[in-house]
Amino acid sequence: MLARAAADFYWMGRYLERTEQTARLLEYQLERLVDTPAEEVALGWRVLYSTFGHPAPPLPTDADEAEVFLIADAYTLAGTFVEDDTNSNSMISCWSLARENAKQLRPWLPVRVWTCLNQGFMWIRDCDFSRAWAEGPAALALEAIDRLRLLAGVVDAMMARDDAWRFLELGRFVERLQHQTVLLDTWARLGQPAQGARLSWSDLLRVSRAYELYRRRRSILVRRESALAFLVRNPEVPRSLRFAVHRIERLLSGIDPKGARYPLAAPHRMAIRLAATVEMDLGGDDPDPEGEDGSFSDLLRDARKLHDLVMASYANYPVERGLPA
Amino acid sequence: MTASSFGSSGDGFGDAPRACSAGSGAFADYEVEARFYDELFRPDGTVREACRRLVASLSSATPEELSTLQEGVARRFIHEGITFTVLGATKMSEHIIPIDCVPRVLTAAEWDHIDRGLRQRLTAMNLFLRDIYNEGRSLRDGIVPADLVLGCPQYRVEMRGVKVPHDVYVAVCGTDIVRTNEGFAVLEDNLRVPSGVSYMLACRTAIKQAFPRLYRAQGVREIAQYPESLYATLASLGPWGGDPRVAVLTPGHYNSAYYEHAFLAGEMGAELVEGRDLVVHDAVVYVRTVSGLKRIDVIYRRVDDDFLDPVVFREDSLLGVPGLFNAYRTGNVVIANAPGTGVADDKALYSYVPRIIRYFLDEDPILANVETHLCRESDGLAYTLANLENLVVKEVGGSGGYGMLVGPHSTASEREAYAQRLRSDPVNFISQPVLDLSRAGCFVDGRLEPRHVDVRPFVLRGRDDIRIAPGGLCRVALRKGGLVVNSSQGGGCKDLWILRDQHPRDAPET
Repeated sequence: MLARAAADFYWMGRYLERTEQTARLLEYQLERLVDTPAEEVALGWRVLYSTFGHPAPPLPTDADEAEVFLIADAYTLAGTFVEDDTNSNSMISCWSLARENAKQLRPWLPVRVWTCLNQGFMWIRDCDFSRAWAEGPAALALEAIDRLRLLAGVVDAMMARDDAWRFLELGRFVERLQHQTVLLDTWARLGQPAQGARLSWSDLLRVSRAYELYRRRRSILVRRESALAFLVRNPEVPRSLRFAVHRIERLLSGIDPKGARYPLAAPHRMAIRLAATVEMDLGGDDPDPEGEDGSFSDLLRDARKLHDLVMASYANYPVERGLPA
Repeated sequence: MTASSFGSSGDGFGDAPRACSAGSGAFADYEVEARFYDELFRPDGTVREACRRLVASLSSATPEELSTLQEGVARRFIHEGITFTVLGATKMSEHIIPIDCVPRVLTAAEWDHIDRGLRQRLTAMNLFLRDIYNEGRSLRDGIVPADLVLGCPQYRVEMRGVKVPHDVYVAVCGTDIVRTNEGFAVLEDNLRVPSGVSYMLACRTAIKQAFPRLYRAQGVREIAQYPESLYATLASLGPWGGDPRVAVLTPGHYNSAYYEHAFLAGEMGAELVEGRDLVVHDAVVYVRTVSGLKRIDVIYRRVDDDFLDPVVFREDSLLGVPGLFNAYRTGNVVIANAPGTGVADDKALYSYVPRIIRYFLDEDPILANVETHLCRESDGLAYTLANLENLVVKEVGGSGGYGMLVGPHSTASEREAYAQRLRSDPVNFISQPVLDLSRAGCFVDGRLEPRHVDVRPFVLRGRDDIRIAPGGLCRVALRKGGLVVNSSQGGGCKDLWILRDQHPRDAPET
């Protein structure tokens, strides 16, 4: 497969995954506007901004101010993540970048995948955010998720399981691994301040689409340690760290033509190391992000390194290394 | 009646065509002017034989039904992102190419005439190119002025003596053909990187679905095999035969024709590469893949000569591949079309094509040329300056409808400014009479109206044969009275139906 096309597929996967992450966090946050204490809503905005690496917006300091803030500023804050094309994590930006990558991939993309992605992009581009807000703040995020799920279904049904599909999926799961790691870290650091409003752990499970399974497997009572462990190591939860690293490892073993023998390619080795970290270092019942090993930050560092290795190994390698023997 | 059921009953699809004429039904406002050949109606307003079914089905539709049909066809283009890119003053913008839902119809006899003319023309042009880069007989014999060829910016001295595989300089050609009351004529040849074939195929797909029964009943010749023919043509030029690795070289997704490059690569199963994807090592061209470098045998380039190789041509090119031309000279890779073919589609050289055909083939041209005045000659310049308001004046190296003066549509000050350019650099211009281009029915502003059209068929020259898809990109000037059909100038496209059966009464009508 053409190296540049592989990189484009990879980035397309990352941007589509990021669009969905933005939509899921927005949906969670906007659903809470109805019945959640204003201070907790404000805390939710802080988590959302922090997760995407943005400086927190000015937030209220007391309950009365928070109530005014809730009404006045939620629209603006949400808009930053929906239609602001200067925000690289907004839905319009991510969708647009995914489409730009897809445009360069048209010889490899089934027509239906392209049209589905293109229609989704045109929908969000032409969307009247203020009208959508009037119909229900979370409705737009929900529809975005539905459209992305439709696209994922079309990809699943239409694409052969070749390198194009593997790089697309690799991008998705590298993005997911990084994002979920940041989300867990952020929730653990910001979600439970010593005083004031708190974020619930069941909400973390909901954002990660794992709450229903948790309730069935564990309990309706959600404990911090148990929820974190569930989202780190449960192999049945598509958004658990374990699910992501195992999928990455499998995809890389399919991409790497030397996968069956040693030495393995550098990204593959890193994926195995990540899997071991998730299994061994974070696999206990009490993954402690503030412990001595700095678990989540180490994992995030390695996940970012994995990205660099993928680019260096498959897209930007030196010519001398690529010449036929 | 919905778009999908349109034409399904009692409207003439599959049934005996009813008598129709301009001025009735959906054609109530349709004006037939004897000055322009109308593709649907004869000058007396009766329907041309080949168009009877089409006119009958359109006549029976209401404006609302036609609108629905038109919207459905346009929507398909939007959803599939069938676009071209236009360079504006400050940024690139992506546009959907306008498509008109009413097909243009040509009879088997008319197409046969065009087909034979195109084969003859391309054969002669390849012989001419071989000659001017090798022996130069035609220049010595005064068939074409040597200074016109050797002084042309598109003449590449680097190509002198280069062994071109199978002497196929032009493998892919797009020739613009117009029709007037005098018949068909070639307006220009595009021998460098002709574009538009993807729109031809996209138009067909959309229109076939819009008129399923009519399409079937008409017996339209298929064009869907074009990508296969293109691949076979390119592969036949490969240095080792067999199943060579073919790549489409594109300038990138900011190029106006990027959609087409991606489309053709996808349809052919070829690699779509940019210059940065290719590496030349020991005069062999490789493509960078995820599992190392792989050899490339044939490059269908959609990059202009200037940008192909910064070592040989423009050294500031970021689109090309250093060392590519050396690999080509060495015979390790085929580049189609060959560098330097642009000299043969220079607008000044165009007027010599009939002589070139006679010289190399000893035949009379089957397709006529349009009368052309060369401003490099004093008589031509004087005539052009004296008749600016009645002529179309073009730059010899121009394309896309840019930089030309359409005399009857110009103001006095525009003509004066253009005349100054002509006097200061006459070699750079030619002039032609304003042609009374034929008109075809189009659905515009909620009704059927005639608009000027031309057609660009695509001709493929491989090692052993010439293939022509029975159809072409039919371009239409959608602005009322407009003559410029280029998509960058407000033009659109429509499907062209070549009928399979020879009808007793389908001889070319004038």
